Formats: sequence, C-alpha cells, structure tokens
Amino acid sequence: MMSRFRPVFEYGVALALLTVAWWYASGPMGIPKYLLPSPQSTVSTLWDSLVSGELWPHLWFTVRNILLGLGIGSVAGIAVAYLLYKMPRLSTFLDGPLVVFQTAPKIALAPLFVVWFGLGLTAKIVLIVSLVFFPVLMGALAGFRSIDSRMHDLAKLLKLNPFSLFWRIDLMAALPGIFVGLKIGAVQALVGAILAEWISGSDGLGYLMTFASATYKTPLLFGAVLLTSLLGIALHGLLGVIEGRLLSWKVQDGR
Amino acid sequence: MITTSGLTKSFDLDGGSILALAPLDHRIEKGAFVSIVGPSGCGKSTFLRLIAGLEDASGGTIELDTGSAKRPVGFVFQDAVLLPWKTVRDNIRFPLDTAGVRRDEGNRIVSELIELVGLSGFEDALPKQLSGGMRQRAAIARALSDDPPILLMDEPFSAVDLLTRETLNDELLRIWQRTGKTILLVTHSVEEAAYLGSEVMVMSPRPGRLKKTYTVDLPHPRGEATKLDPAYHQLVAELRQDMRETE
Ligand SMILES: Nc1ncnc2c1ncn2[C@@H]1O[C@H](COP(=O)(O)OP(=O)(O)OP(=O)(O)O)[C@@H](O)[C@H]1O
Ligand SMILES: [Mg+2]
Repeated sequence: MMSRFRPVFEYGVALALLTVAWWYASGPMGIPKYLLPSPQSTVSTLWDSLVSGELWPHLWFTVRNILLGLGIGSVAGIAVAYLLYKMPRLSTFLDGPLVVFQTAPKIALAPLFVVWFGLGLTAKIVLIVSLVFFPVLMGALAGFRSIDSRMHDLAKLLKLNPFSLFWRIDLMAALPGIFVGLKIGAVQALVGAILAEWISGSDGLGYLMTFASATYKTPLLFGAVLLTSLLGIALHGLLGVIEGRLLSWKVQDGR
Repeated sequence: MITTSGLTKSFDLDGGSILALAPLDHRIEKGAFVSIVGPSGCGKSTFLRLIAGLEDASGGTIELDTGSAKRPVGFVFQDAVLLPWKTVRDNIRFPLDTAGVRRDEGNRIVSELIELVGLSGFEDALPKQLSGGMRQRAAIARALSDDPPILLMDEPFSAVDLLTRETLNDELLRIWQRTGKTILLVTHSVEEAAYLGSEVMVMSPRPGRLKKTYTVDLPHPRGEATKLDPAYHQLVAELRQDMRETE
C-alpha cells in the first residue's frame, strides 16, 4: 500500500520545496515582478483564465495533439517493430538507417516539418509522431526479441493463426518492453507538442507561452509553464496506472 | 498410430553437427502408454518434439494416424511454459479459447480439470504465485483441455513431490483407461516407467537411439498391488540394468 502512495508523496515534497523557493525568490528576496511573478499572482492568473474559459481550448488542443501523436506513434512503432522482428533479413538492412534516424535530433527538424507540412495541424502531429515512434520501436523490438521461444512452441502446437499469435502471445509478451519505450515517448510527445506550438499556430499551451512572453504577461507565462509541468506529471501517472493494470503479472508482489 | 521410419535428427552446432537421434524405426499402437527412459541427452525430448511437429526431421518420416483431429497432439513441456500474464484458469482455457469452444462449455471442462490436478483454490493465481510442481500440474491440465488423441509428456512430474506424483500417476492411468489416448511419457524414474507403461522404450546416448523396447503386461487397473508384483520388480531391475549399461 505504501508503495502506491510513495510517488505521490515524492512529487508532493518536490513541488512544495519548489513553491517555497519560488515564493521566497519573488517575495522576500525581491526579484522584480516582470522577471519572476509571485506564486500567488501566477496561480490567480491561471485560475482566472480557467474560470473565464479562455484556457480550456488551449489545454485541450495540446492534450489532444499529445494523445493523437502518442497513439499514432506507438501503433506505428509497434507495427514496424513487429515487421522487423518477423523479417530478420529486413532488419539487417534497416537496423543501421534506423539508428541514424533514431539519433537524429527530430527537434531540429521541426522547422523543416513546417516547410513540408505547412503551418497547420499536420506538421505538429508529424513532429510528435516522429518523437514517439523511435523509442516505442526500440522498446517493442527489444520486447519482441526477448520472447521465450517456448511460447512459440505452444503456439505452433495449438496451430494459432498469425493474428492470434500476435494478439494472444507476442504483443502480451512484449508489453514490458513496449512500456519502456512508451514512457520515454510520452515525455518526448509533450516536448514536441509544446515546441510545435511555439513555431506556428495560435492554439495550445506552447502558443500561450510565446504570446505571454511577447506581451510581457509574465504571470501567464509562468501559469502556462506550470500547467505544462502538471500535464507531464499527469501523463506519467496515467501511464503508470495503465502499466500497473497490464503488467501486474510481471512485477513481483510486495511480499 | 504413430509410425516412424528412418527418423533422424541432427543439430548444427557451431560449424559441426551432432546427431541427436540415429535412424529410428518404431511403431506405437493406438491407445498405448509408452514410457521412455534413457540418460540425459539421449534425445528423448527431441523424439517427442519431432512427433509434435515442433522440430523438422533431418531424415525419415513420421506418420500420425489421428484422422481429422485439428490438433492431434497435446504436449506437456519439460518446464511448464505457462503464459505468465494469464491466471491458472485462463492458461488451462487457452487451447479451448483459441479453438473457439463455447464459454460455458469451456468453464465446465476447466473446472473439472482443475479438480483433477488438485489446483482447486488456485484458479485465479498467476503462474508466478505457484510452486514449480503446481505450474507443472496446470500445464498437464492445459494439455488435456482440448482432448487430443495423442498426449506427449516430457518429464511432467519431475518437479512434483513424491506423494503428489503417485496421485498424479494414478490419475493419468485413469484418464488413459477412460479415454483411450495414446500417451508417450518421458521419465527419469524406472519405477514410474514400469508402473505406468504398457510399453517401455529404453534409449541410449551418443548418438541417441532406441536400445530396447519392453512390452509390459502387468495387469490393469494398476495400483498398490502392482508395486508388490514380482513381475514389476523384475522389470524395474532389468530397466535399471539397461540404464547402467547406457552410461
Ligand atoms: N536446439 C538444439 N540445438 C542444438 N542441439 C540440441 C538442441 N536440442 C537438443 N540438442 C542436442 O540433442 C541431444 C538430445 O537432446 P534432448 O534434449 O533430446 O535430450 P534429452 O534426452 O531430452 O535429455 P534430458 O533428459 O536431459 O532432458 C543433446 O545432445 C542436445 O545437446
Ligand atoms: Mg529432455
């Protein structure tokens, strides 16, 4: 039971310390408001814009893009990983190029994506997908390649069709690896979503940050940053819950 | 029922190749209970895997005369090989689920089998929560669940305590007599081989081959009386002698 609340507790302590330091720096230490707004003014700005409803579309825009990118990126990553796993010949050709793509700084390619896919939604989703795809691919590939071959003996004995083999055995057995990739991918997705909104468009938390800094609305800027951090924590927590559900067979009981 | 002619298997091992099974000609009648004994590495598992179609023969042929059975063989692996994400119940159901058996029908079969192998109360446990012997019993139940005409068992009771082992032996004999399955069972225990088998195959290593076969005509049903039968002791002694010679 303790272990379930431990992360919550740790987050809480870290957040509290940060808030105290922030309050001290903006208040007693006397850093000017336009450089560092106080926690109170940040929260009240955030609260006002939440109540007035002007924040919700931005928050929803960012969340939706992250979820969309995570969804497409991980499905594609798992699919390509399975293809490479099933066709070792293909993977001897593709392993090299994949490493190159994987290590290439996708963030740096963001402006290029805008040139290719325009200022709209497509470029944003493409960026997020490209950030999610590779970690999930690598995690899934490691997961598939570590499947106990004796499970395939069982599948052969039961004459499972390829579809059943994938859904009932391979995907389940590779889930631990997939989740390793997915957790890295989720962080990347958040970074990608914010970055994409900095570059173009007039929606999302990222846009709100650029708008606030351009108009010297520092409390709003801080509010957007705070909200983004909370979003990151929520995403992490959500994945943790899903992982706990799906992989309870893997973790040792706390006995 | 199971006919092998000139069946061989060799494995490639870093450049070289080792002969795991020398040409083996043998015929196993429908409804036989064949015990297979032999020292470690003599190709017992390989023989079973060839029959199950898990391994391709390097030469020779195997014929299974099982008619239209979609899954002719059930296999109990040397280690249980349960799916770690499924409960005991769902592991035993797995062959039924993948064969499209109706849910209530499946439930009935599964609860019978759980009772049979003595896992009542552990239906919802995950494999990691079971002992080695309990896992093995779940694997036996799984192999029986879709009622295959041939049952191949690779040291199924090696991780089970003596008392449970004797109980499971008797259950297995009962299942065999009731269903008329053809059963091949690998064991390291000559007593078990003699007690269970209607036939005992003795194998010898390097290269793995069939050294001898015994026809066992100890009367059925077998039980405690069998273990006092001089003929049984005679067979056990002969098997032990054979095993010693193969070393
Ligand atoms: N996949 C494999 N690759 C290479 N060699 C193998 C493979 N499987 C079995 N062998 C070899 O074939 C021989 C027979 O192995 P097998 O597993 O059939 O023996 P066994 O009689 O079942 O032994 P045990 O009683 O220890 O289980 C051994 O020499 C083994 O090294
Ligand atoms: Mg073996």
